[in-house]
Amino acid sequence: MHIPDGFIPISQCIVYYVILIVALYFSVKWARSNLDEKRIPLLAVLAAGIFAIMSMNMPIPFGTSGHMVGGALVAIVFLAPEAAVLVFTVVLLIQALIFGDGGITALGANVLNMAIIGGSVGLYTFKGLNGMIGKYAAAGVGAWLATVIAALACAIEMAIAGTFPANIGIPSMVLYHLFIGIIEAVLTVIVLVALDKFRPDLLAWNKGDA
Amino acid sequence: MEKRDMALIGVAIIICVVICVLSPYIASGDPDGLEKSAEDSGLAEDFSVEEIKGIPDAIFPDYAFASNPDNQGLQIVALVIGVVVTLVIGFGVAYVVKSRN
Repeated sequence: MHIPDGFIPISQCIVYYVILIVALYFSVKWARSNLDEKRIPLLAVLAAGIFAIMSMNMPIPFGTSGHMVGGALVAIVFLAPEAAVLVFTVVLLIQALIFGDGGITALGANVLNMAIIGGSVGLYTFKGLNGMIGKYAAAGVGAWLATVIAALACAIEMAIAGTFPANIGIPSMVLYHLFIGIIEAVLTVIVLVALDKFRPDLLAWNKGDA
Repeated sequence: MEKRDMALIGVAIIICVVICVLSPYIASGDPDGLEKSAEDSGLAEDFSVEEIKGIPDAIFPDYAFASNPDNQGLQIVALVIGVVVTLVIGFGVAYVVKSRN
């Protein structure tokens, strides 16, 4: 769901950049009081892992493909969507500048969809369901919903931009991401299970924050 | 840095490199959800809502060497460079914003 340059007029890109700057302000503030030294390597490897996994497009129905995004994962690991904003600003900036994946002008919108919306939907769905269906199932549903809602947001932005009409863009984006969300859910749960097994000290939910 | 943090970084780098090596061969070349939605909406391949000038060319467009875009070995090199750059900048950013308590 990387929006390329040219899909959003510059006047609207500026609005998304303002949102990005505000989000970064709160994310740095979060890090200053919550990102302790021992979780620096975790943040860095999550960024590198998300960069890598985004190259692995998997086939879904309708002749389409999709890859894991990871916004819900980062937000759940740190129990903070702010962490996802930091990670995705780094990853999406590198992808846009060096690899031409996602537009430089669309950076604000891409961080909004994948990290702010994806991270928040993933985390708060997880928190809401955790007590009812268990942490892994809650994380899986959160990751799936994060993908679908981020895609919906992207389609709405495309409609505002005049790029896709809402009546085609919204059903298309949501339909494809119902399937891409399954990839997101499975991989999110796998990473959380692995971290909980090998490095439970790094998961914020083990500190009694959840 | 603790030994188990080194292990975390080591394991993560191995997983990333495995993904980078496999990706050029097994990743689906089908359009992603957004590209497919653009097709569904009847957008031309080079669609642009308004002309945007002054954007520099990517060094590795589409995760490949511009001079030899179909060379899968070079795609692996481009991806590994991306992983290393992301890891280093991720560390740098995390270090700069970390808690000072």
